[in-house]
Amino acid sequence: MRKGKTIVDKMWRNFKKIINNRYTLLVFRLILGGIFIYASLDKIAHPDQFAKIVYNYKFLPHSLINIFAIIVPWVELICGIFVIAGIFVQSSSAILSLLLVSFIIALSVNFFRGLDINCGCFSTDPKGKEEGAILLIRDFVLLAIGLQIFLSNLRRLNNAK
Amino acid sequence: MKLRRNSIIREIDFIKLFLNGVGIIILASILALFYNSFSGRGISLIGSWSNRILSDSLIVPYSYQEGDPQAITLSEAMMEFQSSNTIFLDARSEFDYKQGHIKGALNFPFEEFDDYYPKVAPKLSRDKTIIAYCDGTECELSLFLTRLLREEGYQYLKIFLGGWEEWEKVGLPVEKGENHSR
Repeated sequence: MRKGKTIVDKMWRNFKKIINNRYTLLVFRLILGGIFIYASLDKIAHPDQFAKIVYNYKFLPHSLINIFAIIVPWVELICGIFVIAGIFVQSSSAILSLLLVSFIIALSVNFFRGLDINCGCFSTDPKGKEEGAILLIRDFVLLAIGLQIFLSNLRRLNNAK
Repeated sequence: MKLRRNSIIREIDFIKLFLNGVGIIILASILALFYNSFSGRGISLIGSWSNRILSDSLIVPYSYQEGDPQAITLSEAMMEFQSSNTIFLDARSEFDYKQGHIKGALNFPFEEFDDYYPKVAPKLSRDKTIIAYCDGTECELSLFLTRLLREEGYQYLKIFLGGWEEWEKVGLPVEKGENHSR
């Protein structure tokens, strides 16, 4: 029993060491920032199509759809750049994490409502569910990365004082 | 004493963090609105996303435009159903089609247009009336399908926007399973 516990403890310690390693954190920042910058560029170039997708989620009141579709991609872009460049990393990673939380909520609610996000219509087709599940997993992984960047920075600042 | 000082420092940190966050969002909003007004690809700040009512019993999705194939009501769809000169197309996915569809309708999922067109085209006729439908008023697949079919040269196109939802609700002839398009 004791041995098992120490092995788990050791693995957990090593895991923490790895995810708090400054190079790992740099890679995390590149991944999070890179993905958000990449995702934002297409939305900024085609606001009409992005607004259509937001509409299909059937989550926001009609009057807020366009303003959301105009501003959110820019928030993603700026925060993505800041996270990579190392400016306001904490606030930027917090904003990106909050965005991811809202995406996860919107996705999972529609997942259970049986809404096909692509056409905005209700469908029981399992194919749509599969795509939704992959998107959800991706968002959860990104959220974990975002929170780790946020928390490690917080710890570092506190230690510095 | 030391503990209290720490918690004060943390509090100040969070206020700073929050203010930085607000600043970032304001900066992004200014850039976004600026870009939206001057890029030439901008959209209006408030969009028209509501369904429109064309007549008493005809509600069309916001994307329905003038010049699109004629939208028909449930009773018009019923009349057409009795005519031998009409083909119904179900624009939903094969899965939804198999769960239940208008009797005799062919499955033609809009999202797989290129795959299905060669299979469905031989069963269509340019002289017959083609009526596309999908889930219901919120669904635009039938509208998009008829737009593509018009580009292929079909003229007698109509859209039954009430779709599967309306048809099933009033208990009109339906069938399940078997994909006639394959």
